Amino acid sequence: MSRAIISRELASFLRTRRALLLQVGLAVLFATLVLLRWPTDARIDRFGERSREVYRTFGFGLLAVVILITPVFPATSLVRERIQGTLALLLAAPLRSSTIYIGKSLGILGLILVLLAMSLPAAAACYAMGGISLGGDLLALYGLLILIAAEYAALGLLVSSYAKSIDSAVRITYGLVFTLALLTLGPHQFLQGGDGMLSDAAEHLHCVSPVAACMELLGQQDVSGQGLVAVGGIAKRHAVFALFATLVMAIWTIARLNHRLLDRPKVAGTITNELGLLSRIFRRLMFLVDPQRRKPGIPWFVNPIMVKEFRTRRFGRTHWLMRMVSLCVILSLMLACFTATGSTDWSVETIGGILVVLQMGLVVLITPSLSAGLISIERESGGWDLLRMTPVSSLRILTGKLASVVWPLSLILLATVPGYFVMIYVKPGTQQSVVRVLICLALTLVFGMLLSTCVGSFFRKTATATVAAYSLLLTFIAVPMLIWVGRDAPFSHSTVETSLAFSPAAAALSAIRVRGFEDYELIPINWWIIVGMSAAFFLVLLMQTWRLTKPD
Amino acid sequence: MSNQTPALVIDRLTKRYGNLTALDSLSITVDRGRILGLIGPNGSGKTTTIKMLVGLAKPSGGTAHIAGIDCARDSRKIKQMVGYMPDKFGAYDNIRVSEYLDFFGAAFGIGRRKRVKRIDEVLETTNATYMRDRYVESLSHGMQQRIGIARTLLHDPDVLIFDEPANGLDPQARIEMRELLLQLAASGKTLLVTSHILPELSRICDQVAILLNGKLRAFGSLPEIMASITQLRTFEIQLPGNDAIAAAGKIAREFASDESDAEVSESPAEAIIRLRTAKSDSELGELLRQLIMAGIAVNQFRELQADLEDAFLSITQMDENGTQVADASSIEKQTEVAQ
Repeated sequence: MSRAIISRELASFLRTRRALLLQVGLAVLFATLVLLRWPTDARIDRFGERSREVYRTFGFGLLAVVILITPVFPATSLVRERIQGTLALLLAAPLRSSTIYIGKSLGILGLILVLLAMSLPAAAACYAMGGISLGGDLLALYGLLILIAAEYAALGLLVSSYAKSIDSAVRITYGLVFTLALLTLGPHQFLQGGDGMLSDAAEHLHCVSPVAACMELLGQQDVSGQGLVAVGGIAKRHAVFALFATLVMAIWTIARLNHRLLDRPKVAGTITNELGLLSRIFRRLMFLVDPQRRKPGIPWFVNPIMVKEFRTRRFGRTHWLMRMVSLCVILSLMLACFTATGSTDWSVETIGGILVVLQMGLVVLITPSLSAGLISIERESGGWDLLRMTPVSSLRILTGKLASVVWPLSLILLATVPGYFVMIYVKPGTQQSVVRVLICLALTLVFGMLLSTCVGSFFRKTATATVAAYSLLLTFIAVPMLIWVGRDAPFSHSTVETSLAFSPAAAALSAIRVRGFEDYELIPINWWIIVGMSAAFFLVLLMQTWRLTKPD
Repeated sequence: MSNQTPALVIDRLTKRYGNLTALDSLSITVDRGRILGLIGPNGSGKTTTIKMLVGLAKPSGGTAHIAGIDCARDSRKIKQMVGYMPDKFGAYDNIRVSEYLDFFGAAFGIGRRKRVKRIDEVLETTNATYMRDRYVESLSHGMQQRIGIARTLLHDPDVLIFDEPANGLDPQARIEMRELLLQLAASGKTLLVTSHILPELSRICDQVAILLNGKLRAFGSLPEIMASITQLRTFEIQLPGNDAIAAAGKIAREFASDESDAEVSESPAEAIIRLRTAKSDSELGELLRQLIMAGIAVNQFRELQADLEDAFLSITQMDENGTQVADASSIEKQTEVAQ
């Protein structure tokens, strides 16, 4: 029974032109990665060090592909079937939930295997160079990658079973994947070498990240290691975690695969204005800005597109914004409290680094999810034609949409500023660094927003737009960081510095003098690059919006 | 808009996509306060025509004017002049009906105070006041169609263009939609409506344009179209029983023997003779006289009124030279599927 579902999953993707392009693109990418690091001198490398460098680059590429491409298939799988009505057909057929789940999971894993197969010629080239073993290196790497893919497939399917729309499923899945893959490394970066529970917890947490596990397999220094403590077995611990997480998420999703998934009432919506006086007073006290209250009309001085964007966003209503801002303020003040009370243990720079990583994480996670679908969601729902039929100009449409992203992100970032004020109070010398960091953060926000909106505007489907925006933004933020991980070997100082100049996150970390980044001078060159690229993205976006509002 | 200016003047409007001609030299004039039905099979050019009228597509040739304003050159004025409801509703998530209408009202530049009043008015016109606090996505298809019409009325346009407004509606909702469209026409608006549901259109349209493969095949009122298609009329002769049906059939055939196109058929089960002929009423009186003289009792002698479906089927069965090309039953099935 599962075989039919597996065949359908595979066939529905593989027969598309997109699949062919993806396969060819990946084959070219892997070949290029190997070619770029291929030895060109005539010296004999007796210890295979050069071939290991090639192998590492290839391994990073494979990992990036698995992290960036895997989530989109499971995330869209169940929710798309539910929207199209085919899930009802599956559930009405004499199939067990577990059969449907296994069929879908294996189908998705099959797709990933097909994509990974594109890397085999490049892997063979690495192997032919010598210095790496078939079982200990190549098979272990592919085994780990398949485990990671299985884990993310299970995660995506679980999210997909809850999601209301395809694009929200994609956004949430990518958010969780990046949290698991990258943000879990943050605490270890700052807390390693210390004693106590926090340090131990951070050490365990970083094993959750597939990046750390892959680094170990590739013979690279631990991604966040600073030579203080070398704890081994990360890959094994990650494999255990991945297996356990996959199993738990699979059971969870199977338990959800029944008629209740389709038996959801439409929320008609209650309105506070029609409730009793006591209820109205209670809601006013609880919410301050009651989301269920009848809204006054949009005033003339406010861009109606911006208001519409806020209102149509699930978490765009004012009470949600207030909650998020409050959470950020609390988090920032907690860190500030740590700074004030434990600055001798942690140092102001460490606390500043945590703040920067948190803020960058927020920007990277939230910005594409808010910006990528600004235009594609309208085109997908048919709302774009309605907008074109109004006398609102393309510039006003664009500014309204961008403002709806800038406002919440700015508020969230500003809410974390009190922590920096405490830092400056504790160590006045950090004032200039803090100002630089804040400029970096503001530029990152603008850059991330313009990049995501611009990329997203070229797609008709929001899910595709979101994946493309996340992939490109992450390429700018994370790829230089991966090169930084390989600092000194295989990458030289100048290579690392040049690549870091493209990463706004690296610039902020270097501005606050976080360990590992203090040797790189990235400002102001990074600012110029980010401003230049943002301007280019804005121009392209403006032209694209203008083009889309014009008659066909 | 002055009373003398036609609401809609389309002159040799053409749209090409590469080698494909989606619309070929369409020419139509519609007076204000009229309802024009635009019909045709899928891909015949209906939506393409509408898109050019509302400024969403650029004509490859020809012109279209709404109330004297060029649709291609002055799209800003056209947007204020026209209310357009596409076949896709364009719902937004997490937004209430009142907020949805408030947004479009603000986008059309209607002041806040006037907008609040206008929202109440359009909701009342479309009989949708009770939906104002409901989430748009929670509404049924019929309800969403009504909110779609309310949206098109917000800025009080003179011309309303509805693309498939009755599509997917249940019979009750279709009747309500029909009454709403008639009510709008009665209030002085000019309507352009496309639909696959021909009986619905035939009941409300003053004029009909039939498009086929991007070309206008017929235009005018329904009787005018029928007259342009064929001179033949259909009559039914109802007998009290089927005893004399053969004799009556023989008389009818002899009567029509001088016409090459005439057709006579007998239905013994219904005790009816059907006659398609181009003869005049006075000539037909002679047939009735002959039947009575032959001692055949006649219960009814009536002319069958042609409807839009007949016109549509007749036209879609003809090629460009006016000769029959398609099997009528296949087109009939196509129309049923579309409904």
